[in-house]
Amino acid sequence: MIATVETATILGARGHPVTVEVHIAKGLPGFTMLGLPDESCREARDRVRAAVQSSGFHWPEKKVTVNLAPPHYRKVGSGLDVAIAIGVLAASEVVPTDAVRGLGFAGELGLDGSIRRVPGIAPMVGVRLDADWVVPADSVAEARVACRGIIRPVERLDQLVEALGGAARWPEFDASPSAFVEPELHDLADVKGQPLARLALEVAAAGGHHLLLVGPPGAGKTMLARRLPGLLPDLERSLALQATMVHSAAGVALPPGGLLTRPPFRAPHHTSSLGSVVGGGSHQLRPGEISLSHGGVLFLDEMGQFPPQVLDGLREALEDGQIMVGRVEQLRVAMPARFQLVGATNPCPCGGSGSPGDCACDERSRQRYMRRLSGPLLDRFDLRIPVNRPEVSDLLDGAPGESTGEVAARVRAARSVAFARSGGLNAELDEQGLNEFASLDLDAERCIRAEMERGRLTGRGYHRVRRVARTIADLAGRSDQPIEERDVVSALGMRARVGLSAVGAAA
Amino acid sequence: MNAGALAVLAGARVLGPARLRLLLTHHTPHEAVVRLRTGRPLHPMFTRGVPPERLESLRQRVRDSCPREAAEVCERNRVAVVALGDPRYPATLLHDPEAPVALFVRGDLDVLADRRVGIVGTRHATAAGRATAAELGSALAAESVAVISGLARGIDAAAHRGVRSSDGPGRAVAVVGSGPDVHYPKPNADLWEWVASSGLLISEWPPGVPPDAWRFPQRNRILAALSEVLVVVESRERGGSLITARAAADRGIDVMAVPGSPRTRASFGTNQLLVDGVAPVTSADDVLAALGLDHRRQGRLPFDARVPPDDVQQRVLDACREQSSNLDMIVGATGLPISDAALAAARLERSGWLVEAGGWFEPVGSRLCG
Repeated sequence: MIATVETATILGARGHPVTVEVHIAKGLPGFTMLGLPDESCREARDRVRAAVQSSGFHWPEKKVTVNLAPPHYRKVGSGLDVAIAIGVLAASEVVPTDAVRGLGFAGELGLDGSIRRVPGIAPMVGVRLDADWVVPADSVAEARVACRGIIRPVERLDQLVEALGGAARWPEFDASPSAFVEPELHDLADVKGQPLARLALEVAAAGGHHLLLVGPPGAGKTMLARRLPGLLPDLERSLALQATMVHSAAGVALPPGGLLTRPPFRAPHHTSSLGSVVGGGSHQLRPGEISLSHGGVLFLDEMGQFPPQVLDGLREALEDGQIMVGRVEQLRVAMPARFQLVGATNPCPCGGSGSPGDCACDERSRQRYMRRLSGPLLDRFDLRIPVNRPEVSDLLDGAPGESTGEVAARVRAARSVAFARSGGLNAELDEQGLNEFASLDLDAERCIRAEMERGRLTGRGYHRVRRVARTIADLAGRSDQPIEERDVVSALGMRARVGLSAVGAAA
Repeated sequence: MNAGALAVLAGARVLGPARLRLLLTHHTPHEAVVRLRTGRPLHPMFTRGVPPERLESLRQRVRDSCPREAAEVCERNRVAVVALGDPRYPATLLHDPEAPVALFVRGDLDVLADRRVGIVGTRHATAAGRATAAELGSALAAESVAVISGLARGIDAAAHRGVRSSDGPGRAVAVVGSGPDVHYPKPNADLWEWVASSGLLISEWPPGVPPDAWRFPQRNRILAALSEVLVVVESRERGGSLITARAAADRGIDVMAVPGSPRTRASFGTNQLLVDGVAPVTSADDVLAALGLDHRRQGRLPFDARVPPDDVQQRVLDACREQSSNLDMIVGATGLPISDAALAAARLERSGWLVEAGGWFEPVGSRLCG
């Protein structure tokens, strides 16, 4: 007898359809799996057999052949267990073959016949949008995000067989997604003092500018970075879906509602491997941290300490908003990776406060320290903020600053203005866009000209300053007027020199 | 004719300053070249001290080069060749025991008629050291003092940058260890050209001579000999600036040193100089006093051309007088909104009340500059 059952496997952040074909014939009893199953998938053989038997069904003492079609890409993980078990049961006529038609199956089997969740339910279900799906009971919310058909959550294999055979009704489940909203843990009101850094966060959120925080240890760089996602608006539907797919595929916990609505915040440590940051690694081509931060913020603390290959790997994603990871024997897989980059670094190896005269480093060692951040990457940062240790008086009895809620309202307004004006955020303005949407008034132009004539502003720097100044003006509610001098000088204050020491440079 | 011959002999890269001087006490440059080319014997006082293989390679080098071409190269690069005995030769070097036989000069030798202070220091300078050098250079230039330095990385370059940033009449003099057209180190090329065009750039070597390591201690003696007072801003426990200081002390020239933290390696050498008894520099006045210029009696300019700060700007300026401040600190001290503070600071900088560097604002004229 032969049976066909539909399921899916994960490559990168996307699901790919897999058809499980089971053939049972007379011959020496055995169980063969074909169609490029990887190590983790081949283990299904023993799990499926044990689960079928402990659920009280008879295992056919015949030659069982399972083919996973199409055979040209690798099938990874234990998510195919249920489909294989149902295929075997259908081929041995325990389950009617008609009942499995039009249904997809995803989930892993326990030896006792229980059905467990696997990472990547959302992208798996997403490959057959309109089909009905059988999924593990604890993955309902995740599956509903990606599927328009009926979701059948099942806890045990015997339940599933009964429901398919018509002997029992499908188990009920609570259809209403929970309305629980996670409170924002990191509020901007916690940041005392540091007006420049606060303004920089606001500008970064409103304009989508990448942000580099330069400051001594203890200045609060990490604390500031964590507060950026709170300022960003909710993800729009399509972006939220993409981000949810990536999180699901990587097996990262999703919110109770299943759909990721808030921008994610990822902060990989600098010892992370290339694969874990950029993606790839196994046959499954797991999404890396840059894809997990799709739609949100990627924070690299001690940026100069990351291996150079990892930093170079970021550049493609920063350019294209996605990353292509490939293997010789299979497809190249694109994974979404459109994130806002926040880097943090000390100004110099001595970790002094950065104020003139307080650094014991000589010029060479500072340069060597900063050379680790390659020029092309450094060029991506519109905002380079010197972060200083807060004053003791600010820490102890400073009044709390504006809260995330107040700032986020301004950010939302500025973002919608920018979208209405140029169809994108200010960080995406190129030279033509700048000329069209970011004109300077007379004083502002004189200010920039003076700065360039003194050799303190390069051509690239000029564009960066204009983009940032545009965002500052938008935030001040002057979105329909040319940029003023006060916007330009604030923008100029947001490009700390990196690498060269502060003081001698002015002389 | 002698200019080309001198360029050939000095550019042969075989003889050091001492042997070159020995050769030219017994022969004129032209005669020396002719003898070396034709293989005729040289004066025994010279040949006695030179190993035969060195002499042979010297003859080879001289045969391979042409005095007329060498003279043309100098002319093309606007390099004047000033030999010992030339009326233009600097009087301060004339009676020096190790006077160079020839100087290859770009710029205006009259600068040496001004009062002259040498500022030297380590290439591995701290930010504070370079700021000090720049402020000293700028303050001395404001008092019409010529600043002599070596155009090396670190302190040397910072001192000359200070001169460049000042609008005072004092000019820059550089004594370099390579040919006057060979920029070293490369990042200082613009400063190098600025010194050559607006001040004076001196080398003992003709155009094209590369910056070999041994030439730098040699040029230090010229730098020391040209100075009336030599200030060491920062130096490690061993280094070229201490060689310069020794050369100055040998010539009876006042050496001064800027004190630094005993924890900073860049201050080990200068602090040791202070222990040995040289005078400390805590302000530009100390150097001016050592020159005999009692600058305090001259009084300040009666009229300050800068636009007076308005109320908001005055508050920002006062905040920066307290200590060098960044924007965060200005906002903290004045309570102004950040964009107002940034605007005020930027305007103060443009009208010359503040200097900004790397996000830090300082009032123009720190304590060091009096």
